[in-house]
Amino acid sequence: MARMKFYCDAERCIECNGCVTACKNENDVPWGVNRRRVVTIKDGEAGERSLSVACMHCSDAPCAAVCPVNCFYTTDDGLVLHDKDICIGCGYCFYACPFGAPQFPEDGAFASRGKMDKCTFCAGGPEEDNSAEERRKYGSNRLAEGKLPLCAEMCATKALLAGDASVISDIYRKRVVNRGASVLDWGVSYENASLRSSKGVQGKATMEE
Amino acid sequence: MLINHRRVLQFPALLFLILIAFPVFAENAPSSYKPVTVPNPATDLWRAVNPQQLPPAEAAMFPGGDSQVQGVQSGVLINQLGQRWRHFRMGQLLPTGSYLLAGAMLAILLFYLIRGKVLIRDGESDKKIERYSIYERLIHWFMAIVFLFLGFSGLILLFGRSLLLPWMGPELFSALASAAKEGHNLFGPLFLLALVLVFLKFVIRNIYQKGDLTWLLKGGGIIGKQDVPSNFFNMGEKTLFWLLIIVGGLIAISGVVLLFPVFGQGRDIMELSHVVHGIAAVVMLSVIIGHIYIGTIGMQGATEGMTSGYCDLNWAKDHHSWWAQRCIDEGKVMPKQQGAAVHHDNPAPAEAEK
Repeated sequence: MARMKFYCDAERCIECNGCVTACKNENDVPWGVNRRRVVTIKDGEAGERSLSVACMHCSDAPCAAVCPVNCFYTTDDGLVLHDKDICIGCGYCFYACPFGAPQFPEDGAFASRGKMDKCTFCAGGPEEDNSAEERRKYGSNRLAEGKLPLCAEMCATKALLAGDASVISDIYRKRVVNRGASVLDWGVSYENASLRSSKGVQGKATMEE
Repeated sequence: MLINHRRVLQFPALLFLILIAFPVFAENAPSSYKPVTVPNPATDLWRAVNPQQLPPAEAAMFPGGDSQVQGVQSGVLINQLGQRWRHFRMGQLLPTGSYLLAGAMLAILLFYLIRGKVLIRDGESDKKIERYSIYERLIHWFMAIVFLFLGFSGLILLFGRSLLLPWMGPELFSALASAAKEGHNLFGPLFLLALVLVFLKFVIRNIYQKGDLTWLLKGGGIIGKQDVPSNFFNMGEKTLFWLLIIVGGLIAISGVVLLFPVFGQGRDIMELSHVVHGIAAVVMLSVIIGHIYIGTIGMQGATEGMTSGYCDLNWAKDHHSWWAQRCIDEGKVMPKQQGAAVHHDNPAPAEAEK
């Protein structure tokens, strides 16, 4: 069985926020809710890197563990989804999540929390696939149409990868080998990658193709 | 200026001490391999992604990132305290809290079986003393109702998934838990109000004084049969009052932090508030279980003061003898019923009333 994963390649992400925009548009996400965000480390300094982050669909999901009403479930694809009909908007998943994925629309007085909203890996919710009800509550269900999440599909530099974990890790592994593992101090990214062809190591990554 | 210079110098000196201390520790550790001397350029990135795993001194060098998404802590990539909080709630608060609450109820059951109901030594008298005014009773019951509601709704959120969900089913339990959450949020601030009112009204009578230690050492006269004098409130009641003010105050303040996520508080503060809220609430519930027992079925004549406002003279002599004596001296003792004498002489109309 496939196990769906996101991976963001920090050497490729250029902080264009295209994934954020794609997600908001595809899923009709309400104001104040951001299922995905791009975080930049050392912004404007040497060594600046960006990472796009959303729900990471954990194997041992903290949100599901602490939920007082047990509204989370893991799909056959390894996605952590939740049922908004069961969710009570307590915010415990938000405390427990390491990535800041659960979001809460403001609902009622004193900015009290409405029902939680988070990245669904463009896989909707427990309702019937691509039904109007599912669309209204969870946004798009691209997986049911055989497509991958739009954030990754739209990524201009292919920094954000989404799909079967083994495929994703293969792609990333090839990149690392081609790029030169930075542990060898060949630097990172594109700057020094071009030097590697002369050292006869390139074949390792491209042998399979 | 001189002070400023000294402060400026102190920090580098401290840093220097820390820096020379670290290699010393490293040398003591047994190592059979040579570490990679060439730094990995990516390590700084991953340190910045998860700075909480670093020692505090190093973590300060890796502040969080920036994000175009506006929001509290939106630049934090990994919040490791979330895992700590998860462990607290699932691995510590749930089991310990259930043991504590079950233990408190078991202890009271054992106390009831061993000691039995605390009776008035000379039986009920036909005289009474005013114990609580209507205002005092009002704020007591106001707090009691709010506390019990918040206690039960909080317990539903804490233990409901393991105790209620399996037999209620997800839909029904979700409706109950949703009501519990909304009610808890809505009536939570009332507890803070009740706490302030109770504090202002009762604080003077609850200041510890001479004789309280004796009361404690003699076990409050409940364990033995000896007479332990006390004032309006005895040592046990005073301790309950201060527990209520301090532990209840912690519950109320941490609750406000959790209830209004609009002051810019981050997840770390909310997680800490929840830890305080959870521990304090479970402790307070255990204490209040004891209070409810001794105020109702555990002691003869104890409930009357809080319901009718008057207590039996003999009850007052038993449990608050100094106060009872003062009331007798000041002539505040009154007969229980105007028609008490008539009542005894003519039992027939009394039965007709029933």
